[in-house]
Amino acid sequence: MRRELLASKKKETGLSLDPRTKLALLITIALFVLSGGGGAASKQFAPILAAVPLILLLTEKSWKGSVIYFVLYGGSYILQLWALPHLSGLPNFLVVAICGFFMRFVPGIMMGYITVRTTTVSEFVASMKKLHLPEQIIIPMSVIFRFFPTVVEEYNAIGDAMKMRGIRFGGGKASAMLEYRLVPVIMCSVKIGEELNAAALTRGLGGPVKRTNICEIGFHVQDVFFLLLCVVAFAIPIVTMITGR
Amino acid sequence: MNKLQGKDLINVGIFTAIYFVVMMAIAMLGFIPIFLPLLIVLVPLIGGIVMMLYYSKVQKFGMVSLTGLICGILMLLTGMGYWSIITGAVFGVLADLVLKSGDYKSAKKGIISHGVFSMWIIGNYIPIVATRDSYYQQLISGYGQEYADSIMSYISAYTLPLLLIAGFVCGVIGGVIGQKIFKKHFKRAGIA
Repeated sequence: MRRELLASKKKETGLSLDPRTKLALLITIALFVLSGGGGAASKQFAPILAAVPLILLLTEKSWKGSVIYFVLYGGSYILQLWALPHLSGLPNFLVVAICGFFMRFVPGIMMGYITVRTTTVSEFVASMKKLHLPEQIIIPMSVIFRFFPTVVEEYNAIGDAMKMRGIRFGGGKASAMLEYRLVPVIMCSVKIGEELNAAALTRGLGGPVKRTNICEIGFHVQDVFFLLLCVVAFAIPIVTMITGR
Repeated sequence: MNKLQGKDLINVGIFTAIYFVVMMAIAMLGFIPIFLPLLIVLVPLIGGIVMMLYYSKVQKFGMVSLTGLICGILMLLTGMGYWSIITGAVFGVLADLVLKSGDYKSAKKGIISHGVFSMWIIGNYIPIVATRDSYYQQLISGYGQEYADSIMSYISAYTLPLLLIAGFVCGVIGGVIGQKIFKKHFKRAGIA
């Protein structure tokens, strides 16, 4: 059975982190690894941040995932460190482009994947409530995270159907192509969305009273450790800015 | 009456998700240098189809503003920097105001509103101008010298307003296309 994203029921996982910690990690990785902000000092720190998804994967006993992750990131890192000075011209460009791509995107995507996979919708809502975000943000955000995989799945299914009928890119019919792909995807998604809407309303979303939540959410030792890591990541560019470069 | 209900908020989520998936599919083209500045052209043109259907469901003030804001937050999470939150919120509210002036029914106002809304994508380019040096260094390390050089030559402080105008114009064109498709498909299928 496929593992659901943002499932409604909790599955056994290794290290259980507070959803807020996961979100903090996700933002930190997005800022300092994915978009590479913060200058040279942060760049030295990036591999440490990139190790976070690996730790989470290992504690989850997802061996296959951790091996793939390690090979992709570690391989690119080593290649960039040792092979780059000896290359020039086109190979150099290729190595820079491919390694740069992997080193930037793999940690972010992995962290995002772990976040949505190990968090249930209720936990997500509960933690956002604890952050005192307004309902106007919480509801759309939780719908989006729940809905992303659905849209992608529909998109792929429609792509397959169109391929079967011989409608594909090329042949100078880009606009027709777009119409045939996009319109069905939107239609499906809207239909599914309407059902989601009805389901959510029967569960009392949008009612006048305050909703309760049975999820127990709180910070533990492991949360403190990872949050400290985030603080360090944010502190590095600030400290370098103050002390002068 | 004017308060957003749970149903409206779920609609915001659904359409923002569709819009964002469409945008991500287009953004993958951004690895070819010429396509990065073209994003502000392509996203409004194609996103118009989604947004026009969305607009047919918008009846209250705040929904389009929320979409803008959330697009910005998602941009932060996908590593495009924090500027998009500001531009997303600002242009989202502006687009909402335009839509409100048409009482959420006028088709023309809907098209103009989409033009205004599309300008939020400029937030993705602001770091290229505002923090040019560090962005350049980071591009070199991430994508290599050639990519960085060509991006820098395409986007500068002078082309930024141009891109903003392009965003508006393409948003309007995308709105027109969107409404045509809307009439052709969605209205007939009865999902609008």
